[in-house]
Order: sequence, then structure tokens, then C-alpha cells
Amino acid sequence: MRLPALLFASSLLAAPGFAGQIGILPATVHLNGPEASQLLIVEATDGGFQKDLSRQTQWTSSNPHVVSVDAQGVVKPLSDGDAVITAKTNGMEASAAVKVTNSHAPFVWSFRNDVMPVLSKVGCNQGACHGALAGKSGFKLSLRGYDPETDYQTLTRQSVGRRVSLEDPAHSLMLLKPTFAVRHGGGKRFSTDSLQYKIISEWIAEGAPAPKAQDASVTGLEVFPAAATLHEGDEQQLVVMAKFSDGTERDVTRWVKYSSNNAGTASVDDDGRVKMVGPGEAAVTLWYSSRVLYSRLTVPYSNQVAGAAYDSFPRRNYIDNLVVEKLRKLNIAPSAQCTDSEFIRRAYLDAAGVLPTAGDVETFLADSSADKRSKLIDRILDRSEFIDYWAYKWSDLLLVSSRKLNQTAMWAFYDWIRAGVKENKPWNQFAKEIFLGTGSTRENGALNYFILHKDPVDLMETSTEAFLGQRMTCARCHNHPLEKWTQNQYYEMVNLFSRVGIKNGSRMGEDVVFAKTSGEYIHPRLLRPMPPTPLDGQSMPLDSTEDRRRVFLDWMTSSKNPFFARNVVNRVWANFMGRGIVNPVDDLRATNPASNEDLLAKLTEDFVNHDYDVKYMIRTIMNSATYQLSSTANATNQNDNVFYSKYIVKRLPAEVILDAYSQVTGVATPFAGYPKGTRAMQLPDTQVKSPFLTVFGRPARLICDSSERTSDPTVGQALNIINGDTLNMKLGAGDGNIALFLKLGISDSRILDQLFLSAYSRYPSGSEKKQMLAALEAGRLEKGTEEAKLEAHRQVLEDMAWAMLTSKSFLFNY
Amino acid sequence: MFRLDADRPVEFCDGVRRRDFLHAGSLSVLGLGLTQLFGLKAVGAVDPSKDDKNCILLMLVGGPSQLDTWDMKPNAPAEIRGPYKPIKTNVPGIEISENFPRMAKHADKYALIRSCYHTAAAVHDTGHQMMQTGRLFQGGIEYPNYGCVMTKLNGPRGDVPPNVLLPHPIGNTGGNMPHGQTAGFLGKNFDPFVLNADPSDPNFRVPDMLPPDYLASFRVDRRKDWRQMVDQTVSRFETSSEARLMDSTFHQAYTLMSSQKAREAFELHKEPESVRAKYGLNRFGQSCLLARRMIEAGVRFVTVNMFETVFDEITWDIHGSKPFSPISCYRDLVGPMFDMAYSSLLEELHERGLLDKTMVLAMGEFGRTPKVNPAGGRDHWPQCWTILMGGGGVKGGQVIGASDDIGGSPKDRPTSPAEVAATVYRGLGIDLHLELPGAQGRPIPIVERGTEPIQELFA
Repeated sequence: MRLPALLFASSLLAAPGFAGQIGILPATVHLNGPEASQLLIVEATDGGFQKDLSRQTQWTSSNPHVVSVDAQGVVKPLSDGDAVITAKTNGMEASAAVKVTNSHAPFVWSFRNDVMPVLSKVGCNQGACHGALAGKSGFKLSLRGYDPETDYQTLTRQSVGRRVSLEDPAHSLMLLKPTFAVRHGGGKRFSTDSLQYKIISEWIAEGAPAPKAQDASVTGLEVFPAAATLHEGDEQQLVVMAKFSDGTERDVTRWVKYSSNNAGTASVDDDGRVKMVGPGEAAVTLWYSSRVLYSRLTVPYSNQVAGAAYDSFPRRNYIDNLVVEKLRKLNIAPSAQCTDSEFIRRAYLDAAGVLPTAGDVETFLADSSADKRSKLIDRILDRSEFIDYWAYKWSDLLLVSSRKLNQTAMWAFYDWIRAGVKENKPWNQFAKEIFLGTGSTRENGALNYFILHKDPVDLMETSTEAFLGQRMTCARCHNHPLEKWTQNQYYEMVNLFSRVGIKNGSRMGEDVVFAKTSGEYIHPRLLRPMPPTPLDGQSMPLDSTEDRRRVFLDWMTSSKNPFFARNVVNRVWANFMGRGIVNPVDDLRATNPASNEDLLAKLTEDFVNHDYDVKYMIRTIMNSATYQLSSTANATNQNDNVFYSKYIVKRLPAEVILDAYSQVTGVATPFAGYPKGTRAMQLPDTQVKSPFLTVFGRPARLICDSSERTSDPTVGQALNIINGDTLNMKLGAGDGNIALFLKLGISDSRILDQLFLSAYSRYPSGSEKKQMLAALEAGRLEKGTEEAKLEAHRQVLEDMAWAMLTSKSFLFNY
Repeated sequence: MFRLDADRPVEFCDGVRRRDFLHAGSLSVLGLGLTQLFGLKAVGAVDPSKDDKNCILLMLVGGPSQLDTWDMKPNAPAEIRGPYKPIKTNVPGIEISENFPRMAKHADKYALIRSCYHTAAAVHDTGHQMMQTGRLFQGGIEYPNYGCVMTKLNGPRGDVPPNVLLPHPIGNTGGNMPHGQTAGFLGKNFDPFVLNADPSDPNFRVPDMLPPDYLASFRVDRRKDWRQMVDQTVSRFETSSEARLMDSTFHQAYTLMSSQKAREAFELHKEPESVRAKYGLNRFGQSCLLARRMIEAGVRFVTVNMFETVFDEITWDIHGSKPFSPISCYRDLVGPMFDMAYSSLLEELHERGLLDKTMVLAMGEFGRTPKVNPAGGRDHWPQCWTILMGGGGVKGGQVIGASDDIGGSPKDRPTSPAEVAATVYRGLGIDLHLELPGAQGRPIPIVERGTEPIQELFA
């Protein structure tokens, strides 16, 4: 429901048509200490929309001696006791209970919990200023405040008496510089009458007390509202609460660093005030004291979508319910279901990396049974090409290549992966065989993983990326700026991988992997080993001789681990849908939210409940109506490539294109060192020389990064299929399908049918056939020898086949 | 395999040369309609008098050490000054490392900016982003490379691609895949043409530039038409930017094929042996020679990546231990490689009257630690380093800015990547107040507002 903004701004009377409810957020408040304060907002809900009415609210305190509230909704303590804050707006009322304690207790600002947040918010310790590697102008702080103890020393001990002047606080550089009382390269950051100034000057005046080990520390954040559906043009104030290890909570709204992940939908200022600028969804991410969280804000599109569009959408499983719910919220209508031709082509390509043959297509199109799609899915999942495709995919993830592995090792690794796909080994079992394996790399191909990653840092980063979708690299040098991982946690993780022993095996190309009982990775700054600890998990003692990899594995595959299942589910989803629910798939961090959290959570839960069965997940995804959506847009979803309202058109992977060319032309691709007839998707090694595969974006498998594989069309690719030998020689081959068609005397019309069925999984339309037959006819030779005529006929067929095989209808999956 | 001789133009059976037919449409292929282009020219965004400016960007992948190359500190303690000594150049007062004797004879042609710095993480990727786009990629925004911006604004000149990347894109330098070499939010339409071949290879040719001998030219023509016929009515591809991009790549491919001038530009074997030897018979040297030919053929912007990775290869990245490079490589390999190619390039551009119109930039992604490390090398140091700029109206023979006694921090006139970007755009005649269309049409300023170019370079 759209209401003119003007009406709200000008009047406190009930606006016509507004029939919602209001509430104060947060609903209860505990003000502890004389300097506590709490910002309150009034949030209205009406017909699925929220609205922030704080600016049209009259605030009153039931007990002005205990608690005061100003016109902006900021609550402050006056004396111990209880009170109720009432908000009146638009003829409605809401209230919040406030408790005040310690309002007159002795109070000193805390360096860790009051001064440090000021430095972070104001930007002193950001990477462009004093948080830089070498600091600025001789003054270095830890980046974004990850090391309060050292920062304290820097401020109070270095440059003695100047940065912090106990005798004359106002003359501390720590105050003179940011207020620009003296020249400061960073300019003026706050004024002398600000709260920032007050906190720092009072802290100095109290003797600049140091941070203590027993200080309460931040354990988490909470944001109000956590999610909201708003109108374009609306403004929404956020309130952020920090939770502490001593059980207290406080309002840190003004100290949080805000950013929006979708500037086209929402922008946010330094005070946490969000402005909705366009339709879509945005996550406003919050950073405070190395903790992160986000608020998800939605503005539906202004389409006219009848409810029936959602109600009538087929619901084959929970995926459809959750996708449609999101589309309804955004006001985007789903496209229609795809045709049978589109379905069979797409299903074969996405699940098995091959095209259906002309015969497969004819049979499927002629089948009239109601469950034919579901049965087709089952048949595809039983094919050997399915095994090849997923073995290849996991080989991409695990970096199987002859660049660092000798042939024996590479084959052992690949064979282990392929065997696992063949028997549908549960994903947690895959991980287990790698991380718990010991012994010969020949007997247990999985162990070649450790040959590829001999450095503990590399091993940790690859493992967290491949199995948890976490990019840990930034935390190597400092706290991860986008995530919550600290540098210490990073090295605690690395130390889990510091005892992988490798020695030569007895046979050719064989190594033996074993768990050492000693060895540490030293933290480069603290110069000591960190107790091996998985992220947010339990530490193990340094002197334990248990296989440290086991601790990592147990934590990783535990049902409580939020990333392990989610990571592989998201990657499998992305394979079929063209985009991960978290995108990119390598980046499952807290500040990179899923486009449909409920959907990803449910898929993950389902996967775990089915014992990490990848094939089950594939079957579930493929059977959904969401997967079977057409790629043709309707009036409301041309621009949607995020919420799965239509199938996302995507170029085929390099190997799939090459194999498809071989299949349609009937001419295999030779690969040096491999038996004739080996398909590209069966190669264990991306080092196998193939200019075609390289130019079409085959990954080098050097680092675990999904962007190694590219599917962008390039001029080089176009030149390759226009002038290169790969496709041209298949088309012209004397033993190829075109030559065969001619030899068998098949008519042009029937040849076209065959080409359409094998390349596009459909019959040509009447007009297509007419046009193409005319073109073929025009290219025939009127006069000449039989041989010359036959040659000309062959050439027109080749050229027409070329046109079909280089068109978008071939090279894309739709 | 016998190839059609590039001397014979590819003519088609109707006698009409393909290039003529395609030229009118090629602007639209590159995403810029004629009216749009004229529109931009009218508002002065594209200065017609500057329309002929070119640029060659040499990416010194790995990060040259300022103390061992172009910002020597002979009076610093031994563990700072390193193993190399300064030599005089042909400009009084300017000295550079003894590893670049030929460069020393051309100091009048380039300016040294010794106070370059950035404040992002000291990894290769950030430097690549910042030095090629002026910014760090944040908030989901991928900024376009200078060459891609130039392509968007000016379009192609003739039939050659407007923006060429030699020889391969930067690959693995640790961490995420590097950025800064593509058109980012401008759209892949404006990505550079990537050579993907090694010009020092004795059999060097651009892969697949011409049809094979077994395919007659009338068939190439027919295939092109039939492909369009097959593709014509499929509406589902209209909303896919990848699909639209594929169409444009085919157009560009056919344009290249039918342009003799474009093909000839890549014919390195036409250069005399002595010239090829002068640049150095290695991938970088031959890429620089090819870059000169590109400019001569009308390419506006050429990027040459001196290396593609820093792992297991000798590059500027002299950490001192494997898989990185030792400090001695500046004397033994990397220094001479750069010295020969860079000075030959400047010399030849000058001789051919192209230097005034062609900005030549040589930049690494950061400098290196003033203190030599235990392995005898130097590590990453973005706080202070030296970049080189010359040609295209830049006044050579001068030093901009200065570092402190140990080359660790800018003492004078610190220069940020944003200022470098502003300087490049200024040199190319591009209005600094311009806004580019970002994702969802959001206007994004070409440089951070208020950023000034290094005016002293254009005095």
C-alpha cells in the first residue's frame, strides 16, 4: 500500500487508510550506568509492509525522574528504578519498559569498550589512515582495532606525554589532532562538544586506564529491524545492540560502521539511517568491534501481479514454496514452465554435461506420460556421463592436475573422486577420507590432496575455501575486514594443519602421508604457536598428540557447523540454477547474505537429514518447478537474475561445448596421451593441451577459486570457431555424420530434422525449415560433374551445420 | 598448415569488401552508437583535438623495488641501499640504477614519480586494481581499466580493436583472481582484445585470424549469413547480457578478419631481425615491439603485462626465496629485459613521431621494503614507490615527488593511485568530471571528485 510521504510528515493524526500496528524497538531497555543511552524507534506494520514512524512520534516517560526521553527517541537514565516509555503516533500508542541501574555508580570510560569504538567509528584506525601497515606520520594503530592492548601502549607509552597528556588532557594529541586544533592530515573528525571528545577527554582525565584482560568483550550484535519490507523513498533508522560477555547489552548504533551491499536498492549514512532508493533487496551490513551482522531491507517492484500468478505456480517440493514466497514479496511474477524440448536439453547438460541424442529427444517428446520428466531425471542420473561430469566438477574443486602431481598421483586422486561419485559417497564421507586418511597416496588417492598443499597456510586456506566457502586470506595479516575472523583465529586454524607428514613411498610416484606428533606453525606477530582451534570451535592443547586433522574434520562435519553442508549445497544449486543462492559460491561470509536465506537453510537441512547425499539433492533440485522455469522473461522479470523467477541463460562450459561438437558431428576429439574417443569431460587433467578448451575458459586448477573457469564470450572464441580447426575439421571429416547422411541418401529435410534434434533437442518449426531448405537449395550446383555437385551439396550441409553449431541456440543453455 | 597470405585482402564474392560493410556498424557493436559518440564529443567529454592520443601501459608485475631501480639511496646503510649503484642519466641531476644503462640515455623522455603510495593491503591484486583503474574494488563495484574507459568514450579507430592486452592477462599472484584489467561495470563489450599468444615464439601468429585454406572465402561469407539467419528470432536471449556479448564478439571477429591493416599489425615477422633483437628476444621485449605496431595501426590503448604470475618465475617480486625471485635477477634478467624493451620502445616511438601522441606508462603494483630481508630480498611495500610516465604530452626529464632517506615513505608530494588515474585521463584528453554509467545506470565519477592530476607533468 502506497501512502504519500507528505501526509506523514505534516500530521500526527491518523492517516486515512493506515490500519496497522506499531511497536517500539527494542521493546525492553536496561540502562546500566550514568552514561548509558538507548535510541528507540517506532516501527509500524501494515499489510506486509513496515514503516519507520519515529520522526512522527511523541515520546513520553512515565517517570521523568528515572528516565528521560527526547524528541528523537533517545532514552537516558536519571536515577535507578523502572519506567515506561510511551510512543504516540497516528492515533496509536506503544510502550517499552525501561529499567535503570547504577545511575549514580562511579563510572570510568573503558578503553576497550568506549575509546576503541570511537577510534574505529571516526576512522582513525582504518586502512587509509593510521591503520595502514606503516601507520601514518609515525602513528600506527591496529587495523580497525583488532589489538587494543598494543594500541593502548602506542597511545600512552610511545611519544610519552604527547598523544595522551594526563596532566593536561585537552592538550593530548589524541584530542588536538582529530578536532583540527593542530594540523592533521586526516582533517577534522569530531568537534570539541561531541560525545567522541567527551569520552576521550574524560578517559584521559581519569588517568587513561588500560584495558584489562577481564574487561567484558562483545559476543554478538542484534539489529532492529532485522528485516523490513518498505516502499521506495522510505527512510528507516536502524538500532544496533551489542551483547557482552558479562551478560549486558548496550546501544551501539552511533558507533557502528554501515554499508549497503546493493546501492541500487538502499543507501545508508553514518548514523544508520537507511534510504530506500529503488526496488529489490539490500543487506545493510553492520560492523562493530570486529563483529558483523546485517539487516535485510526489501522494496517490492512496482509491477501489477495478480495473486493467481503465485497461487497457480506448480509446487513440486519445498523449493517452489520458498522461491514463490520470495517472488511474491518482491512483486515479481515467475515465468511459465519450460517446454519439453527445453527441459530435456537443459537436464542432460546441467546434470551430465552432454546433449541428448536425436533418438532420446524423439522418444521423450513422443512420450505422453504425466511423470516423464521425473523419470527422465532418474535415467540421466544413472548414466555414466553423470559420473564423468560430477567427477570433473569435484576435480575442479580439489585442483586435480598434473602440474604438481605426477601421473600416478593424479590418476589416483581422480579415480578416487570418480569412484566416490559413482557410489554416491556422502559428502561428509568424502571429507573424512581426505582428512583422516593416512598411508599410501597410491592406495588412497584422496591423500594426494596433501601433496598438492604442503604448506600449512595453503592447506588451511584451500580447505576452508573448498569445504566451507570461506575466504580466509585477509585474516592472514589482520582481522578480516569483512568477516568476523581475527588474525589469531587464522593462525589457530593453520596450526591444525601443521603436522601433516609426507615421506617417499616404496613404489614409483608414491608418497606416504602420516600424522606427525610434533611440529607447530608459529604466529608471525606473536612469535609463538597458537592452540589449534577450528573457527569458533574448541581449542586442542598444544601438547596433545591426537591427529590435529581429526579435530578439524570433526568440527567441519559436525551438524552444528553452519558452513560445511551449506557450501556444497550452494555449489550444487549454482550448477543447475546458474547462480548460487550465495553469490559468489566461494564467499559464504556473514556480510554476503543469501538472496533467499530460508531457501538455502531448508536445502541445507534437507541435505543433512539425507546423510549428505549429493545425488538426492540433485534430484530434488531438478524435480522442482523452479528448475523447470522457462528462460523467457515476462513483463515483470526481465531484469531478475537473482531470485530465480526464470531460468538463467548461461553459456555452456568449455568441455561441454567440445564434447557436444563431437557428438553432433560424430567425430571425436583427439587428446594426446589418451585413448581415442575420450571425451573432454573424462579428462582428469586440465593441463591436457587444447587451445579450444583454453580459449573457452577451462580452469587452470591452480587455486581454489570458482572464477578460474570463465564462461564469458570473447573475440578469441569467435575466431576459434570461425577459423580454427577444431570445429571445422569435425564438420569436414570424411567419417563424420554429414558424410554419413549423404552416403545414406537422406533428404535435406530429414537431415535438418536430425541436426535440430541433436543440436537443439527439438524439431525445426515450419518457417525455419522452409527458410533453411531454401538456403540449402540456393547453394546447390546446377551444372557440373556428379562429383562437383556432391561436393557442393556436402559444403552447403557443412555450412548450415556450422551456422547451427555456432548460434546462441547451441552455445547457450536455456 | 598453409595460411592465406595477409597481403591479399579477404574479398567476398559480391566484390564488396567486408570492412566497408561492417565499419558503419562497428561503433554500435562496441556499445557506442554514432549519436551517442557525437553527443559526448559535443559536451567536450571527448576533446576532438586530443582524439588522437594513445597509451601504452607496461604492467611491471611483481612490484619493482624502488631502491634497486629508479630511486637509489647510495648514502643509506648497506642493509637498505642494496647491492646496486646509481649511474648518471642524460639529464643532469637524475640518477637511476646501474641495471638500466640504456634507459639512462633516454631520461629526457620520461618522468619519474618517486612518491607513489597506496593504503590498501600489500598484496598484488590491490595494486593491480588501483594502478589500472585508480580505485580499490569495494562495495561490489568493479571499476573499469583506463583502456576500457577510453574504448567506451572514443570507440575504435579504424578496424583495429581499440584496446589490446598483450600477451596474456595477469594470472595467479596469490589470493583471488586479479582485477583491474577488464571493463568492469562498463560491460564486457568494452573488454580488451587479449592476444593469448607468445610473440617471442618463432611461429608466433594471432590464433585463428584467418580462415583455413580448405575453407573458400565465399563459404565464410555464407556461414556468417546463415548463422545470423539461424539466430534471428530467439527472443529469450534478449535479456541475457552474455548472449548479447556473444553477438558482439562475432562482429568483432569478422571485422578483424577482413581488415588487412589489423592483421598486418600482428605480423611481427615483418620486422627486421635487428629491430626484434633490439627489443630483446623474449616475451616482454617482443610484446613491446608489438605494442608499437599496434599504436601505428591505430590501436588506442595497449597494455603489456610483463609477467603473468609471480610464482615459480623470475619477476620483479624479489622476496629472495622460492617460489619467488632473488634480488640478483634485477641485474641478470629482469633489469636488462626491461631496459632493452623500454628504451627501444621510447626510441622508436620518438623516431616515428608517435611519442608526442602516445603516453607510455610503466608501473608496478607496489614498491619493496627498504630493509633487505633475511633471505636477501625485499618484500611488499605499498607505502612508497616509483612509477614512470612519458610521452603523450608528458614532460620528460624530471622527477616528481621524493621519498625519505630510506625510500620508505613519500617525503614530498605523495601521489595516490587516484591522482595517477587523473593524470592518465588528463593526458588522454578525457574530462575529469565525467561520469560513467555503472550498474543499474548509476553514474560513477571517472575519478574521485576533486582529484587533481599531476600538473607538473604537463607544464
